[in-house]
Amino acid sequence: MKVLVLAERAKAIRELCAGARGLGDVELVALTSAQVVTGVADKVFSVSLPEGVMMEDSLDTLLPLIAAEKPDAFFVEPTKRLKLLAGRLAARLGASGVTDILSVADDASVSAMYFGGLARKNVKASGPLAILYIGAGVFSDAIPSGTDTVVPVDFVAGESKVTRRSVAPIVKSGVDLTAAKRVVGIGRGLAAEADLEMINEFASVIDAEVGCTRPITEAEHWLPKETYIGVSGLILTPDVYVAIGISGQTQHTVGIDRSKTIFAINKDKNAPIFAYADYGIVADLYKVVPKLVEGLK
Amino acid sequence: MKIVVCFKVVPDDQDISIKPDRTLDYSKARPIVSTYDLNAMEALAQFACEDGITYSALTVGAPDIDDSKMKKNVLSRGPEALYMVLDEALAGADTHQTAQVLAAAAKKIGADLIVCGDGSADVYAAQAGVQLGEILGAATVNAVSSFSLEGDRLVVERTLEDETETLQLTLPAVVSVASDIAPSRICSMKEILAAGKKPVEIWSLSDIAASVPAATLAVTDVLAPEPAPRRHEMYTDSDADIASFAKKLSEVLV
Repeated sequence: MKVLVLAERAKAIRELCAGARGLGDVELVALTSAQVVTGVADKVFSVSLPEGVMMEDSLDTLLPLIAAEKPDAFFVEPTKRLKLLAGRLAARLGASGVTDILSVADDASVSAMYFGGLARKNVKASGPLAILYIGAGVFSDAIPSGTDTVVPVDFVAGESKVTRRSVAPIVKSGVDLTAAKRVVGIGRGLAAEADLEMINEFASVIDAEVGCTRPITEAEHWLPKETYIGVSGLILTPDVYVAIGISGQTQHTVGIDRSKTIFAINKDKNAPIFAYADYGIVADLYKVVPKLVEGLK
Repeated sequence: MKIVVCFKVVPDDQDISIKPDRTLDYSKARPIVSTYDLNAMEALAQFACEDGITYSALTVGAPDIDDSKMKKNVLSRGPEALYMVLDEALAGADTHQTAQVLAAAAKKIGADLIVCGDGSADVYAAQAGVQLGEILGAATVNAVSSFSLEGDRLVVERTLEDETETLQLTLPAVVSVASDIAPSRICSMKEILAAGKKPVEIWSLSDIAASVPAATLAVTDVLAPEPAPRRHEMYTDSDADIASFAKKLSEVLV
């Protein structure tokens, strides 16, 4: 089997190439020089994207490449830019992509989330190309390898209907929850933004990062968007996860269910979060958290 | 200028239950508008309100999505009319199939600007809008956090993982908007009553000269996952229990 890999970030490039190696031959497409990663693929198709051109407009460059290489599967990092590019490719090819993938089998069939993790579906692409959007963690144990022959590819300009006026970096909190070994998650049980101080103190005592459920970032704006855990946010695999004031809706638990050990603090004994917890405490978080800080200091 | 908001109708996931064999039971789940499409509807309602322009709503699906409450809900949110393409062949359609049928309907309507939501509640692929735009040969972008017209250009803000950008699109254009673009509204009684008087046009595939292409994905089974095995040790809020809970936490930290 031959797998074509397209990813924006070095970590994803290495991970997707490592996963692709488990299926067979690996060919990497690099749309920018930053995407040329060595030692991970058999071939690296290095596209010389002209200055000012958006990578999403490399459609007419990739179509002939796909036609010539005839990959059996196309592994794509699910970033916004690449979902636009590969989605447009899918339209040209008459294919559909599969997203929210949990695992990939040897025949490139996949297990993917359905209804935000409520169920899992097994899907096999029957169209012209298996376009698989694969996020961080699916192949985290695989090791990439390759002899990396770099093949330069000329950029083929298509009709451009989108012009970029400006671009600006997003100032981030600097937190990378996907790399954290310990994570504290907060939900609606937290009454006020000022109470984050107590949570932060607890997190610092156990050397953890702080994440949250969707309403905490989307409705309350208490924490940055990149700390949202769950469907369409982060899917984490930390050693320790502590859920504080989180009811445990599927939309959130899908992002934490693969944690090694889960602790939950909630005053409602019927909160679904307890079904996901190794250790649960039915108590007011405002009583428990300060005591935990005191006890663990 | 003709403007259309596309949306998907899905079973209400709050009422989907899991059977003992871990398959899903949709029998109590009514058809509703997929959550993030409500944000797209609101974004367009605000856009149209400012400029005094009108727009319609479009969905495609199996005949069982034709639900009076769902239709009223959509029409309460601002569109002048609702178009629905209904055919049994659209049950469980993949994004390729959906986009092809949406494109045929959009052509019949003559849409210059199409707004789609972020992703659907069931598959959350965030691909139908992108594929629709490409099929129509329109300017196509996703992750849009705001949009406005400047003459015959659409100017959009796009929020990506690490950067934001301002883009200028030619028309026709298809934009897929982020779910946080606009919080969905609570409809007023006046809006709900007015919705009942708005036209709903139901089309068959032949009405829009479309056929459903062959499926490009084969779904073999859909099962609720077995939860990861957990210890389920429970504690109360007594001081002794809090101390034991803290001890368990300190044990896994080493």
